[in-house]
Amino acid sequence: MHILKSRGKKRTLQQEKVGTKKSVQKIKKTGSNPRTRRGKWISAGYLFPSAAGVLLFFVLPFMIVIYYSVVDNPISHQFVFLDNFVMVFQNAAFQQAAKNTLTFSAAAVPLAVVLSLLLAMMLESKIPFKSQFRTFFLSPMMVPIASVVLIWQVLFHYNGMMNEILAFFHADKVDWLNSSYAQVVIIILFLWKNLGYNMILFMSALSSIPKDIIEVAVLESASSFQIFWRIKLRYMSSTILFVTIMSLINSFKVFREIYLLKGEYPYDTMYMLQHFMNNTFSRLDYQKMSAAAIMMAIVMVVIIGILFLTENHFGKDVEG
Amino acid sequence: MKRNRKIILAAVLFGILLTALAGCKKSSGGNQEGEGGVKEGSVYVPEYAQLDLTCDYMDSSAVSGDTLYISASIWNEDTGNSSVVYRYDLIGNKAQKLYELGENENVYGMVTNEDGSLTMVCGSDDYVYDENWEVISGGFKMTVYKISSEDGTVIEEKEITELFPDSEYIYIQRVCGDAQGNLYLSDGNSTIYVLDKNNQLLCEINTGDQWINSMASSKEGDVYACVDGKLKKIDLAGKKIGEAAQNIEVGWGDTLYTGLNSSFFVNSNNQVYVLDLAAGTKETLFNWLDVDVNADDVQYVGELSDGRIWAITRAYKEEGGADYELIYLTKKDRSEVTVKDEIIFGTMWMDSDIRKRIIDFNKSNDQYRIVVREYGADDYETGLIQFGADLTTANCPDVINLSQVDFAQYASKGVLEDLYPYMEKSGIKKEEYLENILKAYEVDGSLYGIMPVFYINSIAAKTSLVGEDNGWTLTEMLDLVDEVDPPYVMMYDSRNTMLWYCVYQDIDEFIDWESGECFFNGEEFARALEFAARFPDDEDVDYSERESVETLLHENKVLLMQTTLSSVQEYQMMKGMFGEEITYVGFPNKEEKGNLIVPASGSFGISSKSQYKDGAWEFMKTLIEEEYQDSLVQQHGSWGFPIRIESLEKQFEQDMTPEYDEDEEGNQIERPKTTWGYNDFTIEIMAATQEEVDAVKALIASADKISGNTDQQIINIITEETEPFFKGQKSAADVANIIQNRVQIYVNENR
Amino acid sequence: MSRRKGKKYSAEELSLQRWDKEVKRKKKLRDTRHMVRILIATMIAGCFAVLFLMPIVLTITNSFMSASEISANYGQVFATTDTGGKVYISDKVNLKFIPDMVSFSQYGTVLFKSPEYLLKFWNSVILVGPIVAFQLLVASGASYGFTRYRGRIKEIIFFLYIILMLMPYQVTLVPNYLVSDWLNVLDTNWAIWLPGIFSPFSVYLLTKYMRRIPTSVMEAAQIDGAGEWQIFRRICMPLCKGAMCSIAILIFIDYWNMVEQPLILLADQEKHPLSVFLSKINSGEIGLAFAVATIYMVPPILVFLYGEDYLVEGITYQGGIKG
Repeated sequence: MHILKSRGKKRTLQQEKVGTKKSVQKIKKTGSNPRTRRGKWISAGYLFPSAAGVLLFFVLPFMIVIYYSVVDNPISHQFVFLDNFVMVFQNAAFQQAAKNTLTFSAAAVPLAVVLSLLLAMMLESKIPFKSQFRTFFLSPMMVPIASVVLIWQVLFHYNGMMNEILAFFHADKVDWLNSSYAQVVIIILFLWKNLGYNMILFMSALSSIPKDIIEVAVLESASSFQIFWRIKLRYMSSTILFVTIMSLINSFKVFREIYLLKGEYPYDTMYMLQHFMNNTFSRLDYQKMSAAAIMMAIVMVVIIGILFLTENHFGKDVEG
Repeated sequence: MKRNRKIILAAVLFGILLTALAGCKKSSGGNQEGEGGVKEGSVYVPEYAQLDLTCDYMDSSAVSGDTLYISASIWNEDTGNSSVVYRYDLIGNKAQKLYELGENENVYGMVTNEDGSLTMVCGSDDYVYDENWEVISGGFKMTVYKISSEDGTVIEEKEITELFPDSEYIYIQRVCGDAQGNLYLSDGNSTIYVLDKNNQLLCEINTGDQWINSMASSKEGDVYACVDGKLKKIDLAGKKIGEAAQNIEVGWGDTLYTGLNSSFFVNSNNQVYVLDLAAGTKETLFNWLDVDVNADDVQYVGELSDGRIWAITRAYKEEGGADYELIYLTKKDRSEVTVKDEIIFGTMWMDSDIRKRIIDFNKSNDQYRIVVREYGADDYETGLIQFGADLTTANCPDVINLSQVDFAQYASKGVLEDLYPYMEKSGIKKEEYLENILKAYEVDGSLYGIMPVFYINSIAAKTSLVGEDNGWTLTEMLDLVDEVDPPYVMMYDSRNTMLWYCVYQDIDEFIDWESGECFFNGEEFARALEFAARFPDDEDVDYSERESVETLLHENKVLLMQTTLSSVQEYQMMKGMFGEEITYVGFPNKEEKGNLIVPASGSFGISSKSQYKDGAWEFMKTLIEEEYQDSLVQQHGSWGFPIRIESLEKQFEQDMTPEYDEDEEGNQIERPKTTWGYNDFTIEIMAATQEEVDAVKALIASADKISGNTDQQIINIITEETEPFFKGQKSAADVANIIQNRVQIYVNENR
Repeated sequence: MSRRKGKKYSAEELSLQRWDKEVKRKKKLRDTRHMVRILIATMIAGCFAVLFLMPIVLTITNSFMSASEISANYGQVFATTDTGGKVYISDKVNLKFIPDMVSFSQYGTVLFKSPEYLLKFWNSVILVGPIVAFQLLVASGASYGFTRYRGRIKEIIFFLYIILMLMPYQVTLVPNYLVSDWLNVLDTNWAIWLPGIFSPFSVYLLTKYMRRIPTSVMEAAQIDGAGEWQIFRRICMPLCKGAMCSIAILIFIDYWNMVEQPLILLADQEKHPLSVFLSKINSGEIGLAFAVATIYMVPPILVFLYGEDYLVEGITYQGGIKG
């Protein structure tokens, strides 16, 4: 770092000299004077450690995944091209897992975004104990996963709290974790864990919307719905994208909780793609795992791409 | 406020940095250790020496410097047992007779004193017994001798029998002394007697119901005992056992010796370590397996002043008595030792029989050396994941013990090498081996594993009830139970065991792997569930209340016996217990093939990624060759049946050969070969008849599946989901549907 | 718009004073409506807060229950099968917030009787500390690289980072194992540290944030003769302090709860963090589970209480300026 520092200084000095000698026109013409070019290299240097690490611990592994996806098994390494993809795609368990993951994310992520936005607006409406509420909503982040799972068991077990409450209203018992309700339970868990953080993100976005614009709108008698829809949402489009991405990441992490709740093979509505990958891994079916992972990655690229395009589309006019 | 925060932040960051550094240091150290296999570090190299004395049995010992005092006994038909105390020069390997004990006298223990004398605690008795081992006459005597360690002359002799007035017989297991010259006698159960210099009883220390595993004085002169798996100091002033030594953990079977350079020198189950009490450290010196010594054989071990370690091992001889060997272990730099190619033997846990084979192989083979990697030692689940992960990397074991892992899974992934070509190359004909047993590890004509020894897991019942077929279906079994309606279906019949027998022993009953269909929501499974529900929960059964097996069987109060069959003699015993002809009908199974094969000491395959396939095979070969297979015959087949047909025939032949005694008139009278027992039932085994051998042969021939082929995952699902049904909270149909749902995913995933 | 038009009709006759009055009346109406709305909002927030707080409170209070009280409350609730998935089964569950008698026996066991818990706790610290510190270090450099002189290639790399960040851990689990094996760090802490330190997650967050610093600020500095290092050190870093703290909290909490990585990459159980152990805690130790969990919660809570303002502040900038 020290060397880099002194070198940087020297260069700037040199550049200064060069800059004064040569005319300014050159900069205007090409837009890449030696100074910026050098700056580019230096900034790339800052990128280097991370890029090297990512290459080694994330890109390389992903390459290995790609490799495994086109060989028949991790021992004999026979090239089979797309056979694994076909096989996995036709696998009933994979289809189930993909469907579940998709429905879960499709339900949980928008819910997380909308609910946390509502919560944020609620807190932003100048209610008392705002900062206390904020802390309370963030508290689920601190609870160790194991305790979360423990408590969820107490609540949603066949003999758990929820069923006792139902029994109080003379309703039938529901086998929450072994029926189609299972996904609801998981969505609740997901929301409980993630609403707080999302809410914080929205709160800060809300508070940073220029006050004058809203005041003008109020004076112009715009309805609060209009204010929300036309102004606030637009200003928050990048935050919404950000929250969506964060929620998506966290929606994949919910596997850990499901796994601790019901093990490797839960009821089929809770069976996620991560189960499929995790289980195929422990059974040495790396090729299946890899093919599934790649298909997942492709879908993810598409989703993220769409999200970015939407954000660009909505965010543009606000930036002005 | 702001400033305060900064300070806290700085402190936190500093802390993190420190931990990071500490962590780095620690891990880089660990890293080197991990790579230690290359050329660094030191190893202990064994040297073997003939012991300079002959005896049948050695018992007590004491060590002073490089001198070992030991009492050794020789059994003589005419004169009985005669014991001699030797002074043994460990460096010179020279024994010197010191003291001869009287008839029927035993040395319980001895202690060397600072003045160079040797204190021995001896016991003797002249009890005369009748045929029921009831004492007719005689008495018991305990004496403390103090003898010169130079020539064995008795300096002092004192009888201490009267110190234990209440006891008719006291057996002292261990003796040691402290710095004050007090003598500690442990009876091996829970009492320690302390005698002072004048052999007066100082106090009696009781540990309550805690077992004293080992007792020794530390280098510092304090006496410690291994009680209840913990190291505890004996508190003489308080006349009690002190608190467990903090931050030092000892194993249950650890034997303590006074250390030379540290507090204690400890022989643990499979390793030797030294303890430093002051520093609270524990340092492992070596693993017995790494120095080619069978830990089970080690009798005495200690340090020499020149830094070497000595050990005396005992190996039982087949004709009785034992062979003793003296081993010196010298610490050498790894670079000085000739390196052999290392074959990694991967297993979930170690079988003692295989350990013996590995040590023999390592001792005799110049080119290869087998190193054991035990995956399941700490945590089974994690070990299994690790095992699986290793199989795909360069880190893969060469020889794999398949008996604890899912063999079919590994075979289908190509992890395993086909063994038939190797057999051919070595001139071993597969016709010489039991076909159905070999076939159990065969997939599409390739042999992926071999089990050198096996036994059969089955259910036995009276032939009069079940007929002569070695197999039945679940329906047949349930019908019989309903028909006879005995008080107990089996001797040990909790809910889980019944579920195990009816469902888990052969899960293929409920899963069609070809089509991926599951049948847990069918009638058969529901019936099995209802059936299992009749039995009590594991925790609620008290088997001890039941009458003896024999009576129950005779009166048809117990219908079936789950049992293993590892020899003809076991069959004879079972038959004797039932009191009439029996059939091994097996576990209920759709194809009526419920007699299952179990590998007795493991089954082994070679990794297809191995670098040393030939070396791995060389070891595997020793397991199926005549020598080892024949040695199994000698063990009366108590471990299992050899897989080699000729050896198995030899075993049968031996079982059929009567043994005779000669009575006074010179007549040959057949004497029982051995005695077998099951709980209270005992039976003398005579030579087997041809029919009995044939029945066993037929049984072996009928078995073609390996026991417990059910994946743990499925078992987990079923045990988890059946629980509410057994507790009466859910109906069998509900439970079956959930099981169907969850197992279906498992099945789908594996297609 | 229409309402305004209506006002305009009468406006011709209204004096400026009346117009002012009208506005005030409206404002008052608004205020009372506002009050009601706030009341409702507070109530809803209160309900949510109770729901959100319940598990954490439950964990803490139950940790003060004696083993017998726990087993009485949850019956044979937490009976497990021998291996694999957890099963907790009971006849009746009784959620209880206040212990009958405050007992420290669980803590006694955890803290004094069995040192393994503290050892595992220390393992957690050793594993997580360096990851947080060095991931931030690496990420701050990388973010700076991504922020300065944005170009096509960098954008593509950045997108790649996002995709990698989104991959569930299960995808890279096996390859990570292979890479660790190849680097000879398997079964050492490095196997956890290295992938953790280079995780793209914080790079993404920090870059998002740093890009919101107006380029003009940096350019101005550059014109003043500051080199890249100075811009990074004197301009970017101070501006990103809040963001760094908030990211540190996120990373910390994420890794503090890791389960899969140590299970696969560290065969030696002695090195496992407490989180792994907690996730495997079985029926017999269910009373302990709460005490261990409470102890395990202490660092996150401290980090949180200390850094919550940063967490908010750090993100505030995000919505604020668009780069």
